[in-house]
Amino acid sequence: MPVWQSIYEELKSENFEIISVAQDTGGEEAAGYIFDDANVSYTAIIDVNHQISSLYNLVNVPSGVWIDEQGKIMRINEGTYAKEHMNGAWGTNDYVPIVRDWVAKGADSEHVWDRSKVRESIIQRTPEAERAQPAFRLGGYYFTNDNDEKAEQYWTMAQELDPTSWNYLRQDLQYEEGGSAGPEWRARREQIEGAGGAYYAPLEIENN
Amino acid sequence: MKTIRSIAGLTAVMLISGALNAQSATVLYNERVVELEQTLPDATDLWVKPEDLTRVNDFILKPEGACLDELCVPVLQDRDSAMFITRQGQSWFNVTELADKLQQAYVTDYNDGIWSFGTMPVTRQSFLRGGEAPDFELMGRDGELVRLSDFRGKKVLLLTWASW
Repeated sequence: MPVWQSIYEELKSENFEIISVAQDTGGEEAAGYIFDDANVSYTAIIDVNHQISSLYNLVNVPSGVWIDEQGKIMRINEGTYAKEHMNGAWGTNDYVPIVRDWVAKGADSEHVWDRSKVRESIIQRTPEAERAQPAFRLGGYYFTNDNDEKAEQYWTMAQELDPTSWNYLRQDLQYEEGGSAGPEWRARREQIEGAGGAYYAPLEIENN
Repeated sequence: MKTIRSIAGLTAVMLISGALNAQSATVLYNERVVELEQTLPDATDLWVKPEDLTRVNDFILKPEGACLDELCVPVLQDRDSAMFITRQGQSWFNVTELADKLQQAYVTDYNDGIWSFGTMPVTRQSFLRGGEAPDFELMGRDGELVRLSDFRGKKVLLLTWASW
């Protein structure tokens, strides 16, 4: 987060904005201090219903979307760390340079995707996955109203309807023993990666 | 003949008492939580007063149908249909029937009378097919509403993350 703030400072005079959206049912209490600690001056939102993930068909965090001056998507659905963490255990230093390139060159940047590539990269939802989002929303309503039993019922329903969503799984695990990055999450991740799948949609960056 | 008449009478009584006992409901859609004082009791569908329709999902009932911007779903209003009925002079609009037509998913907790609606795929074709960024309206941490459309003319990097 401090890295994004420094990138924002660097690029904000070039008609560039960062909208950073925490997917946190726990609200301000859960996520607010992270924004505060980084002293962010870009647009900061805490999205308790994960509405941005619903609208943009995103299933994991962090995820990034590039939106141009006319509201067209230029890239979408990528695991977007600002830099490497823990000596490369996760994250990448390759993403920020392509953001810089896009801000400088706009549509002429080689990192901008064409319309068909954007369309292919948008996750298509099954009818069941479409139902997962109102189920998750209902669980969040009960969570907010301190009915943990029904929150769990509908969050479980959301996970069953859309097993591809890491957000639904991990938001729920956050409130269970083991936490959001505990044994259950690790086992699921290893299972997917063991089968040749990817936890994040792979970053596709062409380096010239 | 007598039997038929009494069954018809019974049905009428049930409909009347149903209307009199119109029950409250809660609708969740995007960020909104809409409390409806009166809906028509129904085992599977959500019937709301036409004037509540807009509060629920932004649609407006017009002579040509239920409309959202340029999209209009035809609704007969001079007789009963799956989408619209009149009981004792009170009209009711079937929100779940409209959702089905729009392929809009919903999940209901019948015990508590809570109806949670998902996004409307028919209004999202410009995103799904053309990569147009869906607009949104969310409260920013500074207390100001954030609308994506207010950032036209700028490049926007939209980032999601989470504390968990």
